[in-house]
This record gives sequence, structure tokens and C-alpha cells, in this order.
Amino acid sequence: MSSRIFAIDTCEGNMRVFVSFEDLHLHQAVKQSVNVLVREFTGDESRSRERSERIVAVLIDLGITHVVGVPDNVTRLIFETLTADPRVAVVPVCREGEAWAIASGLWVGGCSPVVIIQNTGFLESGDALRGTATDMGIPLLVLMDYRGFKTLGKTDGREDSVARLFEPTMRAWEMPYEFLDEGNERAVLKGVFRNAVETQRPAAVILT
Amino acid sequence: MNRLECLNALHELRDPGTVVVTTMGSASPWSGISNSDLDFPSVGSAMGHAADFAMGLALARPRRKIWVFNGDGSMLMSLGTLVTIAQTPAPNLTVFVLENGTFEVTGNQPIPGAGFISFVRIARGAGIESVHDLDSVSAVKDRLPALLRYPGPHFVRIPIEAGNEPAPILDCSLRIPAYRLRKTLEEPRAGEARSESGIL
Repeated sequence: MSSRIFAIDTCEGNMRVFVSFEDLHLHQAVKQSVNVLVREFTGDESRSRERSERIVAVLIDLGITHVVGVPDNVTRLIFETLTADPRVAVVPVCREGEAWAIASGLWVGGCSPVVIIQNTGFLESGDALRGTATDMGIPLLVLMDYRGFKTLGKTDGREDSVARLFEPTMRAWEMPYEFLDEGNERAVLKGVFRNAVETQRPAAVILT
Repeated sequence: MNRLECLNALHELRDPGTVVVTTMGSASPWSGISNSDLDFPSVGSAMGHAADFAMGLALARPRRKIWVFNGDGSMLMSLGTLVTIAQTPAPNLTVFVLENGTFEVTGNQPIPGAGFISFVRIARGAGIESVHDLDSVSAVKDRLPALLRYPGPHFVRIPIEAGNEPAPILDCSLRIPAYRLRKTLEEPRAGEARSESGIL
């Protein structure tokens, strides 16, 4: 029990806090004071870390030189693994719009970057994507965490609006995408990267 | 400072191998001054993202100088970029902010903070160490060469007069200058190592 991880999603601001089971008493206190939902985080750290390492191995095989983006609770392990790897440079940004522009500059300069962001950042940075990577025709591999995926279809008011809006927006902005499932990391990442190169446009791999 | 006098001074000081990224009020005047394959007009692109695009270029091409002529309104649209530049510093990058206090190409509406904002203090506060305020053509000519001898990234604020520059329009897809610049950067320069990674 002590290794289990919980997430606290507040109704306001979508703040997430991950704590160990020993801190559950703190959960309860917070739950009483600010009316939050406490739910168990599915999946354990070691499994997520192994998956991140598999993803990073494929990125390196693809010749990725730079990773540009903003980590979240799902992609943080990918960033941590990449930061420890001298073959790839990690470029953290303040806002997702910068990631599209920096990655575009890196590609025009002859490098092979990847952008890693959350779907919320995708919604925030639409014009930056359009005005740089899309209009410049950058064959850019993108990894995006699908925040709220498990809330899709909930009718009790708990559906995360970013989840509801995410895929329709991806389609509206003409961003091709595929989902990454456990064990198919190599095939999906390579396939989407090939698609980006052949079509000369950004293409995304979605993490759920 | 007169915009054209400023840009002409910068043109005279530019090393022929320097990549120059322009946007908004500097793009069209610069195209009348310079005709280099290393010029990149960030036109029709996302406003506020010329400086971070230039940062990407600078990280990719560490042996080339990369200049970006940003507007003050454009800089405000992505102020976080200054922190991003300080976080992952490219010694070959120089960000010029041509400050006239207005969104000029849309009719000279004042930018937020016009009259009291200090880009110099913001850049320093963001963590950029080489920050300069060149408030005359003579200051540009006299001081810029010396300060660019040191590793950057550099931030240079240049006040210019407000004008009536219309919104620049690119006569082709943005893909064309992007792919052309990539190809130009792949070609070896005379007297230079053929690979910027150091592999000959």
C-alpha cells in the first residue's frame, strides 16, 4: 500500500498533487477543506518509467537531437530520462507556443527535434503551431499527453473539458495523430515520424 | 532613431554569414536593404514567435551568428521567451528589440506598458546577462561590434520612431523561405569547415 500514488484534482484550476499513501491523512484534510476529489492514480511508477525508457529508446533510434516542451505528470518521466541522456538536448520552454517555434528553428537549422506537451498546451498554442511548424512544413514528431482521457463521456459533471475538446481540435487543425498503447511504442512512433517526414507536416503520438 | 538609419547601420555591421530573422515592422524595410539567402522573414507567421524561432536556429547552428529584429509588441506577446533563452543560452544569438511603443502595422495602437515598460530590466530579470540599450545610430555603430565579440545570448534594445509601416505580406508560402534557409545552411561556407559538428 505504501507505494500507491494518489492524485488530487481540484474543481478549480485542475491542480494535481501526487503524494504517497502515508500522506493519505493529508488527503482527507484537504478533501474536507476544499472539496476535492481523491482518486487512486492508475499504474505504478516503475511501469511508467519502463514505458518512458522504451519511448526514449525509439526517439534516439529515430535520430532525435532535441526535445522541446513542457512536462506534465505523464511525460515527466520521459523528460527525466532524456535529461540524463547526453545524446539528446532538452529545451524546456515557458509556454507551449515557444515549443513550436523553437522546434521549427531547430529543424530549419538542420536538427531533428521532437515536441512533448500536454493537450492543454496544444489548445493554448494553436496559432503558434499554425504560424510556424504547420505553415513552414516542418516534419515534426509531437508527443502529447491526453489529460482527462479517462473522464471522457462522464455525465456527472466530471468530464474534463480539455478531453472533450481535444480530438475535435486536432482534426480541425489538421494534425494527424495516433494513440500509443502499451507495447506498441516502437511501431507507432516510427510510423508517425515517417508520416511527418513524408507529408512534411507535424504529426502527433497521443499518450493516454 | 530613424528606423531605416538603424537598419542600415545594422546591415553595415552584419557579418555576411549572419542569419537575420525579421518580423512585423522590420521585415519589409530590411528586404529593401538586404538581399541575402540568410535573411528569414517571419511574416504571416505567429506573432511573437520570431525570437524563439531564432533561438532554435541558434541552437542548431552554434557557429553562425543569429540575429532577430523583434518588435516591442511582438516581444510582449511571448515575454517568457526571454527566460527560455536564458535557461538554454545560445552564445551566438542576439535579440534586438526595436521599440517604438506601438503595434505599428495595425495602426499604431499603443502597446501595453508604452511609456513605462523597461525591456532592458525585463531581459536582465529574465536572466540574460548581456543586455544593452543602444539609443542612437552612433551608439549602434560604436558599441555593437565590441559587445558582440563576447559570448551571448545578447539582448539589445533600440528605440525607434513610430512610423506607418503596413503589415508585411509574404509573396509565397512560408514553407519556401524555411526550406531555402535550411538548404542554404547545409551548404559549406568558403573557408569554413564543411560540417558545423566539427566533422570534416
